[in-house]
Amino acid sequence: MRPPTRPRRHSCAARRAAGALALLAALARAGPILAATLVIHVQTPDGHVLSGAVVTARPLEGQARRPAPVHAVMDQVNRAFAPDLLVVPVGSTVAFPNSDSVSHQIYSFSAAKRFQLPLYHGKPYPPVQFDQTGVITLGCNIHDDMLAYLLVTDAPYFGRTDAQGAWSADVPRGRYQVSIWHPRLRDSQADLERELTVGDADRAELTLHLLKSLQPAPIADRPHSWDY
Amino acid sequence: MPTLWRSTAMITLLAMAASGRAADWELSLDTRAVTSDAGRSFVDGGFGTTRYGSHDSGIQLGRARLALSAPLGELWSVHLDASIWDDTDRSPVGVTEAYLQFRPYPRAGYRLRVKAGAFYPPISLENRAAGWESPYTLSYSAINTWLGVEVRAIGLEAQLDWLGTRTGHDFDLGLTAGAFGWNEGAGVVLAGNGFMLHDRQTPVFGRVGPPGAGALPFEQFDGRAGVYAGVEGRWLDRVVLRVLRYDNRADPTALDNVSGAIAWDTRFNSAGLRVESETGWTGIVQWLGGETSIAPGGQSIPWPFQAEFALLSKRLGRHTLSARYDQFRVDSNSTPPDFERYGWQRGHAFTAAWLFDADAHWRLALEWLRVGSHSYNRPDSHAGPPFATETQLQLAVRYSLGSGVR
Repeated sequence: MRPPTRPRRHSCAARRAAGALALLAALARAGPILAATLVIHVQTPDGHVLSGAVVTARPLEGQARRPAPVHAVMDQVNRAFAPDLLVVPVGSTVAFPNSDSVSHQIYSFSAAKRFQLPLYHGKPYPPVQFDQTGVITLGCNIHDDMLAYLLVTDAPYFGRTDAQGAWSADVPRGRYQVSIWHPRLRDSQADLERELTVGDADRAELTLHLLKSLQPAPIADRPHSWDY
Repeated sequence: MPTLWRSTAMITLLAMAASGRAADWELSLDTRAVTSDAGRSFVDGGFGTTRYGSHDSGIQLGRARLALSAPLGELWSVHLDASIWDDTDRSPVGVTEAYLQFRPYPRAGYRLRVKAGAFYPPISLENRAAGWESPYTLSYSAINTWLGVEVRAIGLEAQLDWLGTRTGHDFDLGLTAGAFGWNEGAGVVLAGNGFMLHDRQTPVFGRVGPPGAGALPFEQFDGRAGVYAGVEGRWLDRVVLRVLRYDNRADPTALDNVSGAIAWDTRFNSAGLRVESETGWTGIVQWLGGETSIAPGGQSIPWPFQAEFALLSKRLGRHTLSARYDQFRVDSNSTPPDFERYGWQRGHAFTAAWLFDADAHWRLALEWLRVGSHSYNRPDSHAGPPFATETQLQLAVRYSLGSGVR
């Protein structure tokens, strides 16, 4: 009737061995070998999937790994920025060529980077470096309807939701802070931040619902020559 | 002749500036096939409310246009819009707008724009296409036709915008103020012809009507500057609300000793709302109300006026279908018995148009316009009975070429 007796005393060597094993296990868990897939779904308040939303994930434990800076390009094609949204790691450089025959004057008065660039056809400017995190709204001083966004992030994991409204990444197990952003978001950023644990399972999933519906999308087929 | 010289000098200057770096240019030719039963056109000194009268039926030149925009350094630019209208204005080539613009980069959410030269005050919500044309119909509404005929700022304008939509808000707000001269004649056509519906804009320093008999809206002889001030609100890129007060501050007792012209003291308020949807619908309502008066010899003769319209348009791919209803009135409460009915007008108009953008170069347009109006100036000038219903049908083919036309 008694439970099996356990040894009441361990030798010092056994204790040390157990400690080493636990440490190894912990190290292994933190390493990429034991990574799991983090899947984030983004939905609008009425339950529709939201594609194109930017998802960032930051580990809350341990030394945060900074993403490596990249060289990105934001072109001007047919009086529009191409692409109209770029997500780059902090410290990245972005080139702004002008493929149009008309001139553009690119500017930003966003706190994360204030700059202005006169882009005349066939006269390239050196790329611009982005050293601060944040959202940078880009406009053209000649064509008032031109609009694009640059999101500079220090999160090691980031991306945009696909046509099914999902984004995924293989991440080490641990606790994460996940946040989302969209150019037409009306929710405050803090309302859409979540923490979750990527635990023992192979997948950790989270569905984020916007609280407020997005701003309507800009009218797409309005001629650029019109007074907007 | 001075007008011709002024136009030529302006065009030469701008062409020189344009030959420099990164000038944008556009050339277009708009020809019309017209059938009309309207009275004689204002262009020929008549009292018709449309651009073309019954004996203008046939092939007509709608407009030949050249536009140039050229940067002068990074923050300054020059803009010119010159047109030929196929009539006998003071200069064969007329400049409808010519101005220098100062455009510093927006800072901290605010954008400043300053214009100097000749340009339209920001009133119309309909004339948003290049060359101050309407992308919905060939003929402009009664309000905007009148602005195109008699109202132009020849002076200075400053516009300050708060760019809320670029800083996380749903709204933009704008304030505009302008000071101008050379608009003592604004009002003379309203009292003489009343409201009309057409697309013949008066060139700067141009004449409305035939040589010898036409009106000159852009004159300066009373030494006073006119002013306007307006507010604009925008909700995203969907809704625009504009309110503006205009006062040319003319001295109604002033007479031009050379031409014998009288200064027309004209003031008005205007308000307009434009709503657009992502499904291609556009709705515009605009209202304008004010008064013009003269006081030769001290006794004031006022003509209060008012006009409004509602426009509904639907874009279907390269097709644009539009319908508009206009209503307009000019009152005449003048006391001299022989002036009792002069200028009195009541009218309304229906416009239906189909515009087809075949490609970036070719545009086809078909417009039907019917105006019913009651005017005492017609019988007073032996131009027919006071009441007339006039119908005009136009088919327009326009070809455009330019640095931005692709």
